[in-house]
Amino acid sequence: MLRTWVIVRCKTVPVVCQARLLHTSLPARSSAEEATTSTTPETQGEPKKWTPKSTRTGLIAVKRGMTSMWNDQGVKFPVTILQVADCQVTKNIKVPKPDHTVYHAVQVAAVNKPAKAVTRQMLGHFKKANISPKRYVKEFPVTSDAHLPVGTTLSAIHFVPGQYVDCVATSIGKGFQGTMKKWGFGGLAASHGVSVSHRSAGSTGQHQDPGRVFPGKKMAGHMGGNQVTVQNLAVVRVDTSLNLIYVRGAVPGVDDAPVYVRDAKKIMAQGKAYAAKGRTDKILPKGVDDLPFPAGTEELAKTLPSIIEAPAYRRSPFVPPE
Amino acid sequence: MASATRHIFKRLFSNTARSATPEGAAYPFSKTALTPPAPKAAETEVERLRQGKRLMEFVHKTLSPPEKQALLQKYFSRRSKDVLQPGSIVTVLQDQAPTQFTGVLIAIRRRGQATSFRLRNILQRTGVEMQFFANSPSLKEIKVVRPPPKGRMRRAKLFYLRDAPDKMSALAGGRK
Repeated sequence: MLRTWVIVRCKTVPVVCQARLLHTSLPARSSAEEATTSTTPETQGEPKKWTPKSTRTGLIAVKRGMTSMWNDQGVKFPVTILQVADCQVTKNIKVPKPDHTVYHAVQVAAVNKPAKAVTRQMLGHFKKANISPKRYVKEFPVTSDAHLPVGTTLSAIHFVPGQYVDCVATSIGKGFQGTMKKWGFGGLAASHGVSVSHRSAGSTGQHQDPGRVFPGKKMAGHMGGNQVTVQNLAVVRVDTSLNLIYVRGAVPGVDDAPVYVRDAKKIMAQGKAYAAKGRTDKILPKGVDDLPFPAGTEELAKTLPSIIEAPAYRRSPFVPPE
Repeated sequence: MASATRHIFKRLFSNTARSATPEGAAYPFSKTALTPPAPKAAETEVERLRQGKRLMEFVHKTLSPPEKQALLQKYFSRRSKDVLQPGSIVTVLQDQAPTQFTGVLIAIRRRGQATSFRLRNILQRTGVEMQFFANSPSLKEIKVVRPPPKGRMRRAKLFYLRDAPDKMSALAGGRK
């Protein structure tokens, strides 16, 4: 049953491989086709437009550092600079699920890596996509209309200044840490007879009942070095000449580490709910009229101004309210 | 170049209500977005910057307009002949309220683009300290009213003046 459904959906998958397939992908096009990264209207119909029900792909950026900026109202705020480094689409994923829906995703890879440092399996994977080997590979769930031709180079123009993004990265490792740093425990008194346990956790449970320490008890241990998602960071400025995204606030991780950036899920969900109610003014954040769809590519970046900045969309805090 | 100056003036003197820049039409995803001029970088440099080599250095140098760079260089570079000295009386002219503030320079915090300084004054028997950021678009001008007594103070940070009103008035009045 599932196999025939797969045959109907993907025309160019060889019959031999269908039984073993876990992921199906669009056929790898010739390099000539891939050179024209955006689908031409003649082949695909109308150029695709973003709708509140669509989910776009994210991209992989590299955290370069932080600085401070002033907006047009004179307000100072911190920004993190993320650089989109050789971010290309490696695969379009369409997986039929047991409940007969299809999971769609776009697999993206970034930061070139020398071929001799890449495993043979990954070399084959990148060769199939006809791109140079990359260091980081990540899959972003999308809706079925947001697939991209394999090999498309994504650019910082993908994000619109004024929109909100979620940034996912590995937090800075802190090593083995005590309960005060790791969990915010209060420790014990500095004097008044406390012996040798000023920073200790104290009691770990009750008495004979339950007579054990519950699993998940907050204790000292390894801290940091795990995946952290910071949600709803505003995109303040986009620089396409250097492929930079300026994001307001802090992003987890060290400099030069990968950050997976995507449209803020909660804000997009809010917009989707407003759209369902018919409130067209609140679908996208203030100042954002549209989003590049299915993605902001290098080709699109060349046609637009190289630096785009969002003004402040609130009343000036320096001007007293009436 | 004229459009660049226009952009800078628009940002320096704008208030809450903003209109789209003339180039706003060229960016279809946001009518109210600003399109400031791109900083110039040599062709060979652009390739290396796109790989992230010495990127933050370049960003720190080019994020603020050249007038602000010149102001930072003139008043905060240690080698400049007009460098601000703690203990001098300084007047700051601003876009936003208070449009003019005069006080004793008690601290300079050098942090590259986020460099700031503190002025202290006694206004209506109340000690008032204000911290000004050199790179802020609302900071228009810095004027040195009087250099420090005897050419220099013996401290870089004059926080002791908070507890010494007699010394404050001596500084304000004339020679210490």
